[in-house]
Amino acid sequence: MIRTILLLAVASLFIFAGCGGKATVEVDDNPVEAEVVEQVPVVPEIVVEEEIVPDYAAMAPIELGIDDVFFEFDSYTLSEEAMAVLEASSGIFKNYGNFMFVIEGHCDERGTVEYNLALGEKRSIAVRDYLISLGVDSTKLRITSYGEERPFASGSDESAWSLNRRVHFARP
Amino acid sequence: MRQLLTLFLIIVSMSVSAQSTEVTLGTEKEAWAKIDILVKPLEVVSGGEKSQQHAEFVEAIIADDFRFSGLFNVITDTAKQDTSAVSFAIEGFLEGRLPGTAVTKAEEAPLLTLKLVTWPEQLLIFSKRYRPTSDKLRTTAHHFSNEVITYLTMEPSICMTRVAFTRGSSDRRDLYCVDYDGANLKRLTANRTLNLFPAWSPDGSQLAFMSYREGQQGNYLLDTATGRVRVFSETVGSNLGPSWHPDGQEIIVSLSKTGQHEIYRLNMAGRILRRLTISPAIEVSPEWSPTGNDVVFTSDRSGSPQLYIMGADGSGRHRLTFEGRYNDSAAWSPSGDNIVYACRENDLTQIVMIKATGEDRQVLTDRSWRNCEDPRWAPDGRHIVFASDKSGVFKLYVMDVLERSVRQLTFGGEPDTTPDWSH
Repeated sequence: MIRTILLLAVASLFIFAGCGGKATVEVDDNPVEAEVVEQVPVVPEIVVEEEIVPDYAAMAPIELGIDDVFFEFDSYTLSEEAMAVLEASSGIFKNYGNFMFVIEGHCDERGTVEYNLALGEKRSIAVRDYLISLGVDSTKLRITSYGEERPFASGSDESAWSLNRRVHFARP
Repeated sequence: MRQLLTLFLIIVSMSVSAQSTEVTLGTEKEAWAKIDILVKPLEVVSGGEKSQQHAEFVEAIIADDFRFSGLFNVITDTAKQDTSAVSFAIEGFLEGRLPGTAVTKAEEAPLLTLKLVTWPEQLLIFSKRYRPTSDKLRTTAHHFSNEVITYLTMEPSICMTRVAFTRGSSDRRDLYCVDYDGANLKRLTANRTLNLFPAWSPDGSQLAFMSYREGQQGNYLLDTATGRVRVFSETVGSNLGPSWHPDGQEIIVSLSKTGQHEIYRLNMAGRILRRLTISPAIEVSPEWSPTGNDVVFTSDRSGSPQLYIMGADGSGRHRLTFEGRYNDSAAWSPSGDNIVYACRENDLTQIVMIKATGEDRQVLTDRSWRNCEDPRWAPDGRHIVFASDKSGVFKLYVMDVLERSVRQLTFGGEPDTTPDWSH
């Protein structure tokens, strides 16, 4: 698109320059040429080849500015930091009030599969309830839990575990 | 002669059952005196080399069945092994060739005769005649072992049982099943999502399991004969831990449709019959007792996950475990005496066995096993299957809880978890 505009601009400059030259330097004794000059449009037409408008409906929550929140081991209590993150995100949830969001609870690999699925859900419920208390439309929020089954970071140390104990936002 | 044999068998049976009453779990490693049994090479009457291979295949399966039962010393070589204590022998013969997999009709199949005889007298106790098609050879061998073990020990045999489990990682976990001896691996689902917690119906005709569909957990039933899957219960929130009532007419689950995880009894149409818990705590992993009178489950109402027992109507709730900060995944032994579960201590999960009365807690694994999870009982009440990441990836292992001996059940690089042993 930019390229098209540039080409048009350069072309029109050249034409205007030519036109101006004729007006000042040479005496017009050729009416045919003058007619041709008059046919060039004064305001160049802009051809839009491609237009990009962000498709917010297809964007992941993180791209909309909604950050994940993190938890302590075997805990589904929201930390002050997590609450601050959710407060910052609550406005975005409201801005995109017609979109559905999935609140996914995740756990680190420690502990059992079944209990971790329940723990992950407790985390997603805690986040959902806090967002509702901040005025987010409850009908646009859905919860689910993946327990320890879909880790974000691999590895068996605290650096990986702390990344995996989270609530992640997704689109249905 | 026949009377003499009958008398002999009665004496043997009595001595076997007398031994079984002496067994006290874990107090003595060799509390059970094993029966010495000789597995003789099968005689190949006709069929040539191919038949010889098949005969050896059958012998090997039968010998493994006796070994894996934990109840026998298997003698296969009379020249090298001590036969002085041998009182029974397996013998038999194979007539006719098994031409690869071409034989599918029973009338074309070879004749396989297997016999249980006394040793060294070689008096016939019973014999079975089979006409196994090629694909039935393995099952036929297991069938005979099953008959012999049940007859000689009067204990339930596990020769015909299977283990269902979940294989894969992240978003792709499919249900698989494998024979109890590790053979005959089969994949049961291929739906590109997470499938967990397979649970055999008491008659083995169905597997209940949890699966994610469009991000939502639901409980499903898989028909083991046809492979067809149907939705069993799909409510908002968790649908965890389907466990069958011993009568096969009910399933117990943990649902979080109220926003809290609670234990519910569902009928086979997926309708709620009864809610058994009311608490803001996490209540998961329900398992029926073998009588169907009680339920063991996990609750974190004390601040950490612990095991509790309650009646089938939710009454008489009491705490079972007091040691360990993290206990889950309880399974009730077929006799009702013992419960195995996963206990997390010092950052590793281990398998623990405890009496249903809460006494006699024993840790069955050690730290060399790294994390051990999801223990489930075999119907013989002697073996458990569990998942361990000892090798770096979770694989399934079978433990004889009396001897504490372990054999690896599944192999390969993908994680295997949440096993369940068929009944």
